[in-house]
Amino acid sequence: MIRYILGRLASILLTFTVVSVIVFLMMHAVPGGPFDGNDMPVNDAVKAKLNASLGLDQPLYVQYFKYMWGVLHFDFGIPFQSPGETVLDLLARAWPPSLILGGAGVLIGAPLGILLGMAAALRRNTWIDYLASAFATLGLTIPVFVISMALIMVFAVWLNWLPASGWGKPNAWVLPIIAYAAIPMATYARYTRSAMLDVLNKPFVTVLRAKGLSERRIIFQHVLRNAALPMVTVFLPMFIGTATGSIFVEAMFRVPGLGAYFVSSIELRDYSLEMALILMITMMFCLAYLISDIIYALLNPRIRFGERK
Amino acid sequence: MSDTPRSPLYFAWRRFADNKAALVAGAILLLIILMAIFAPLIAKTGYADQKFLTQAYAFPQAEFWFGVDDLGRDFFTRIVYGARVSLTIGFTAAAFSLVIGIPLGAIAGYYGGRADWCVMRLIELFSVVPPLLAAMLLGALTNGGFLTIVLIAALFGWVQVCLLVRAQVKAIAQKEFVRAAQALGATPGYIIRRHLIPNAISPIIVGFVLAIPLAMMLEASLSFLGIGVPPPTPSWGQMINVGMNFMYFYWHLAVFPTAALAITVLATTLFGDGLRDALDPTLKGR
Repeated sequence: MIRYILGRLASILLTFTVVSVIVFLMMHAVPGGPFDGNDMPVNDAVKAKLNASLGLDQPLYVQYFKYMWGVLHFDFGIPFQSPGETVLDLLARAWPPSLILGGAGVLIGAPLGILLGMAAALRRNTWIDYLASAFATLGLTIPVFVISMALIMVFAVWLNWLPASGWGKPNAWVLPIIAYAAIPMATYARYTRSAMLDVLNKPFVTVLRAKGLSERRIIFQHVLRNAALPMVTVFLPMFIGTATGSIFVEAMFRVPGLGAYFVSSIELRDYSLEMALILMITMMFCLAYLISDIIYALLNPRIRFGERK
Repeated sequence: MSDTPRSPLYFAWRRFADNKAALVAGAILLLIILMAIFAPLIAKTGYADQKFLTQAYAFPQAEFWFGVDDLGRDFFTRIVYGARVSLTIGFTAAAFSLVIGIPLGAIAGYYGGRADWCVMRLIELFSVVPPLLAAMLLGALTNGGFLTIVLIAALFGWVQVCLLVRAQVKAIAQKEFVRAAQALGATPGYIIRRHLIPNAISPIIVGFVLAIPLAMMLEASLSFLGIGVPPPTPSWGQMINVGMNFMYFYWHLAVFPTAALAITVLATTLFGDGLRDALDPTLKGR
């Protein structure tokens, strides 16, 4: 187990390094620099000075190693678009709204999805199953900004029940949370349905029924426990996936969160912030997959690491 | 029971025809494809013709089925031509996904060992970087445009194709007829081309169809963010972005592209799901 984890960590380190090099090169290959914007033109001498003060005049590999050295010390540099703070300050300010909304979305969507999937599996090929499957397919196939758009049109524009945007009052949070909840709900509904159908067809369930166990105990004590395994593994990656979902949800609902910075950092050539965002998301995905795999192994003794098949 | 032998294709068709949702989705998809092909016949103006400037923002009516947009263009025309953009990008990106995914999947599945390890690390690389972020960066690098989006979508679409092909090739590579071919001195390249890939045709078709909606969604997302298909070429994502600004006053500018995108993606996905279940019953419900 320890050997397996160490191997995975090494592999993550490799992935992380490759991603950082590629992203760094791509980022700097985009034409233009942070001070080439049109709204505040600066003359060439000033630009050269600014670039020099930020180390942007040095060769790329020097800049890369300097930045990565900083990253190792949790120093992600200064965002050019708001030079009064560090990248970490900016993240500490912008991430909480995204986390609250995204987290609430996942925490509401996942249980709903599990219930929906259970209902679909237990009432297979009835209208409940079809309705649940339709919901799941809709949630997974329709881009989140289309869902947001539909929510705004129906609940804010036509029915006028909830505000379409804003951050101040909690009732403005309802629609974005529903938008965030769509993907977890759909994913869980699909997973739960197929996992439960898998388990329900196993011989041991027939044995339990033959022994005269009540259907309720069969479902909750045996089927659900066995079906829960694959459901555990998708949770963490899905939670982190809300970070990129925030690009659209927050643009639609005008939430002052992380989402807008993904776009603006690329548009404004805000190298430090751009690098920090991509590296952090990549790292979190890597770790989320690793942790999910470990949890899976802990919950499922049938999986043993390190043994060759 | 009749004794006439039935081809596997017949059984696949029977399974597909039993799936009502997939059948309806296929019919809708066909309709959208026809609409895209015959767009010049259906639409009354060109997609960028500002013929109705005086009636800009007009609501849907008998003359303009979907109304007129903010720049005086017939909105129905824009939506119909938008299908062309969306479908073309979806299909070409899926084709490119096959070009990358089939050889890599076949090599990983056939050789195993080190080749497999390399391909799997490559896949890992693509699974931890959110496609959208990479696409945004690539889009900025290349200034967007049609071909760029196709390539970006293919760059992230091949993974699924590769995994499907790899699994199938891995299973078939152990079969006796492959052993026989090896014993007869066939080269690995010949075996892969002649025996393995033809036997992996079902997962390839499935991978192709399922890559289409992913590419369409990526295009719409990028165009929504303003780094996708540049105007005046009509793209549904781009229209949603514009429509968003007017949604309180001119709802049609937001509703129609939203519905068009949702219906097309949904139909393609359901059709692909049905095809997968029909061609490969063992994959059902994944």
